[in-house]
Amino acid sequence: MTNAAITGNPLRDPKKIARKYISIAIFAVIVLYIGKIIILDGTDWERLGSVEEVIKTVLFFVPDFAFFPETVVPLLETLLIAFWGTALAVILCLPIAYMAARNVTPFPWITYPLGRCLIVLSRSTHEIIFALIYISALGLGPLPGILALASRSLGFMAKTTSEAIENASPGPIEAMEALGANRFLVFFYGVMPQIFPIFVGNVIFQLDINIRRASILGLVGGGGIGLMFAQVMQNLQYDRAGTIVVGITSMVIIGEFISNRIRARLV
Amino acid sequence: MAAITQQVYVDYREAERRASLIKFVAALLFIAFFFWSIDVLNIPIERVFSMFGRLGHMITERLLPPDMAFVGETRVMDSIIETIQMSILGATIGTLITMPLAWLAAWNVTPSRRFLYPMARAIIVVTRGMPTLMWAMVLVAIFGFGPFAGMLALVKETIGFAGKLMAESVEAIDMKRVEALRATGANEFDVLFFAVIPQVWANWVGIIIYNWDAQLRNSTILGFVGAGGMGLYLREQISILEYHTAMAIIVVIIGLVVISETVSHHLRRRLY
Repeated sequence: MTNAAITGNPLRDPKKIARKYISIAIFAVIVLYIGKIIILDGTDWERLGSVEEVIKTVLFFVPDFAFFPETVVPLLETLLIAFWGTALAVILCLPIAYMAARNVTPFPWITYPLGRCLIVLSRSTHEIIFALIYISALGLGPLPGILALASRSLGFMAKTTSEAIENASPGPIEAMEALGANRFLVFFYGVMPQIFPIFVGNVIFQLDINIRRASILGLVGGGGIGLMFAQVMQNLQYDRAGTIVVGITSMVIIGEFISNRIRARLV
Repeated sequence: MAAITQQVYVDYREAERRASLIKFVAALLFIAFFFWSIDVLNIPIERVFSMFGRLGHMITERLLPPDMAFVGETRVMDSIIETIQMSILGATIGTLITMPLAWLAAWNVTPSRRFLYPMARAIIVVTRGMPTLMWAMVLVAIFGFGPFAGMLALVKETIGFAGKLMAESVEAIDMKRVEALRATGANEFDVLFFAVIPQVWANWVGIIIYNWDAQLRNSTILGFVGAGGMGLYLREQISILEYHTAMAIIVVIIGLVVISETVSHHLRRRLY
């Protein structure tokens, strides 16, 4: 690649080049070793059989579009779960963003680390884990799914919102403080109007991502299309599973397309 | 003059009233939508109010404290190592597939706008649209239990995730260098290696590191459907209602994600 041109360059330090190639070689050896473990040793190739047999299994998944009408209601449920999960996150993210923004946080020594901690916790926990915890407490159904989605998107939304608050112009905030407005008035009339376009963009972005997340919640009992998918997989009705995958994929693609259009117009 | 002012005032009041009417109707529709959703989703209202108590009980009594001794067992340790291995292998193979694909899917330098561009775009869009966990279940049905199916799921996820970012960074390059090369009679590959890659390389390395971080996050959960890694033990412990050990796995997952995020953050910061 470009390296052929670089080695011929007398201005380049040969030591640096040597170090670069050695690190690439070490990385390659590690990857090949892992590849040997996972692909050669970790897979039962005899059970898998020949290429034809694999292709035969793949062909079981060819979608059966006669099944499609039955997936419409679960798909709608998934959309509703995604919508209400996002709506709940919108409400809950404001106080956390308020705590985690350095310039407006009420008690910098307590609320700032608390807000940051909640953001990290929410961002680094998979929605399936949240769903498992809520399901073990509340039982199966869409309600734990909604709560899991809300907990999951909370972190990202609070993070972007608090960054927007930190970047907000201090002028209106100081002007309102000079007039004697209290913290909440300052937040709602001094900060919110400034961050509103960014906030709306993030909400739409999260709604789009949450459709994708909501579709798998059913695998652990969180309602929606995932439940149906888990059932048909268990019954080995692979053609129906194929239909569901096609349905979800098209729904997610349409959602992403709409969300990109709206956000492009907002900015 | 006065009549005009009067007219403006009346118009203003009229517009204000109409706006408030629209707001009122929108609020009513929203409330109706709320109750309709509750009906469609079959959400038990009486449970919503008692949920905090049960959730608190669940977290304080049954989830905490995590039984960390479980993580020390050899099989669990092995599965954690397997998770990391899966993420590295999946991200690497995925990246090797994604790089040419991103070149084909960038409108400004794609070699063929008629055939290869729509094809590459379609691959990226479809792989982005499929939820990873479902894809992993399908792969497990085809290739059997084990990390191989999980690795393929991560490859798919990398194509969708990194492909979009990489193609976007190619579309943002300075076209003057491309045109200068084309003027000397360079073919498409010369343009790729001497005009495109030197411009996007730093950006691409950042995306590759970020993608590995994202794949490690995904790989922790893949075992849930039998696609290798520690997720298997999470499912096992949950299904036998051993919440303390399940919580230990969750703690390890969160720890892994936080560590990988820190590593990727520092690597990327050193890059720029």
